[in-house]
Amino acid sequence: MSRSDVLVDADWVAEHLGDPGVVLVEVDEDTSAYDKGHIKGAVKIDWKKDLQDPVRRDFVDREGFAKLLSERGISNDDTVILYGGNNNWFAAYAYWYFKLYGHQNVKLLDGGRKKWELESRDMVTEVPHRETTQYHAQDQDLAIRAFRDDVVAAIGVLNLVDVRSPDEFAGRLLAPAHLPQEQAQRGGHVPTAKNVPWSKAAQEDGTFKTDDDLRALYGDEAGLDFGKDTIAYCRIGERSAHTWFVLHELLGQANVKNYDGSWTEYGSLVGVPIELGDGK
Amino acid sequence: MSTVEQVPEQASASGCGAPAGGIKVKDGPGGQAVVAGLVTKDGTPVSTGYVRLLNSDGEFVAEVPLGEDGGFTFYAAPGDWTVRVLAPGGLSAEQLVSAETGKIAELELAV
Repeated sequence: MSRSDVLVDADWVAEHLGDPGVVLVEVDEDTSAYDKGHIKGAVKIDWKKDLQDPVRRDFVDREGFAKLLSERGISNDDTVILYGGNNNWFAAYAYWYFKLYGHQNVKLLDGGRKKWELESRDMVTEVPHRETTQYHAQDQDLAIRAFRDDVVAAIGVLNLVDVRSPDEFAGRLLAPAHLPQEQAQRGGHVPTAKNVPWSKAAQEDGTFKTDDDLRALYGDEAGLDFGKDTIAYCRIGERSAHTWFVLHELLGQANVKNYDGSWTEYGSLVGVPIELGDGK
Repeated sequence: MSTVEQVPEQASASGCGAPAGGIKVKDGPGGQAVVAGLVTKDGTPVSTGYVRLLNSDGEFVAEVPLGEDGGFTFYAAPGDWTVRVLAPGGLSAEQLVSAETGKIAELELAV
């Protein structure tokens, strides 16, 4: 796996706007951002309305994902380029969904919407029309998804990476600092988890750091054992999808799972161990 | 750790998805330590750009795109923070701020 298999830069996108077989998809934390302006030809996926089950706390199922992509005019053999705000936080989350349901050719625009905007590149409000397709989703690839029992079993055995901010890790905040504090019943982290805030993998302009810098960040600095399997988690599984992308797609670690239940589930479970305080 | 007495009304509906500019404070800070502000250029609000919240070690904690009105809001922990603005054309600005529970620290940054 090399970077060019999973990332494209803004110049590449600018040169391939409108190419048949290439579909740009914007996925934002702020779901109204697309409506104010987006890269020409891009369709929108709403991480909440489109990707989450409206009743149960779970994802859209295989049929739901297939229906969504069919409606967006995305075919199984299309190259999907995902981008979004906040250092591709939610675009990386969508990327993980595409992989979960077996889409082969999907990449992130390095730097996402932020880099595109800060470079004053063209944005449009026109929503493209794409013909409906017959998309076929695969069964979920559970090699990349962790559940709560996997996390409890991993304590002291596998790498656990808590990618939230240091204040959330320590138990001083329950949510990221740009959001009201809510949700999990208890603060803290899973015992033996290392705290590597997801954003450390990105540079200020939103692009990913180099492989060498990333290896140093997770290995030498955080003390992850690259010989072991890894589970990443955050609060609701989005930021950890970004770290999953870094470890699995950029650094090529073999067994990395994203625990999408994350702290809102773990911090509300009865009887599981919790550790408080800053990372060591 | 900080506990939360009041959560702004939009919060539960928006989950993790903050709108541009962040989730605005409606009825005062409640039990939150709020850092909010406005970004301007030549006295006019800047509506395209990003605001980053850095902790006292200079580490990135959160980021929001600017609202249409040039505004931004963070729900921080009590303590010292740096607010850093990035705007098109390589423009940036930084300001130190102290957040306190139950208060809104209001800033104005010019790029």
